[in-house]
Amino acid sequence: MRNTLKVLNELREKGLIKDYAIGGAIAALRWTEPFFTQDLDIFILLEKEVDEKGLIVLSPIYEYLKSKGYVWKGHWIMIEGVPVDMFPADPLEKEAVKQAQEAEYEEVRTKVIIPEYLIALFLRAGRDKDWRKIQMLLEQCEIDRERLRRILSQYGLYEKFRDFEEKGYGR
Amino acid sequence: MEDEPKIVIGDRVLRRQDLFQGEEAARRERAKSPFEEKIRTLVHLQKLAYGWGRKKDVIIWEI
Repeated sequence: MRNTLKVLNELREKGLIKDYAIGGAIAALRWTEPFFTQDLDIFILLEKEVDEKGLIVLSPIYEYLKSKGYVWKGHWIMIEGVPVDMFPADPLEKEAVKQAQEAEYEEVRTKVIIPEYLIALFLRAGRDKDWRKIQMLLEQCEIDRERLRRILSQYGLYEKFRDFEEKGYGR
Repeated sequence: MEDEPKIVIGDRVLRRQDLFQGEEAARRERAKSPFEEKIRTLVHLQKLAYGWGRKKDVIIWEI
């Protein structure tokens, strides 16, 4: 994990990405008790978002990782023994990366998406396992309710959250 | 729940509800553990899933 984060920082230092933050289950686990998961989800900000054809080009990142000997395993790229999924950030994810909390893992600097944005992202994904993580976040860590309400309203997720609450979750 | 049997542990008399509340409090405490410690626990969970759960496709992280 430590070396994985070092490689991700290297991508930023080399200008292959502008910034990144840990999202998904591992970010949730930063704020809740540990639970089983397999992959490390990374949301990335790119210097150039789309090429002239309107495509998101991640090839230079993967070429660089390949040149360092990292290989694909299914949809993951294995970086220092950790399966990593990289997602180019959409508007909500971009804001989440920008607002992510600076953290240290064994003295390596990294960024982790904060609970309020994680809740919005899990709510949008909307699978059962995402709802379970929302519930854990609401139960186990401090949530800035006003900030959460603002994010949910801004990204049209407030009704979904009410639906989540009405179904008996998050109490 | 008046009919609910009480549980005696040493000199403590508890209801099931007390145990649940204690469990919730412990979960909130565990949530405050350092990130590194949680990742070590995650790797233990991956090993458990691989071994006990016989999920041979589980990837055990190198940390």
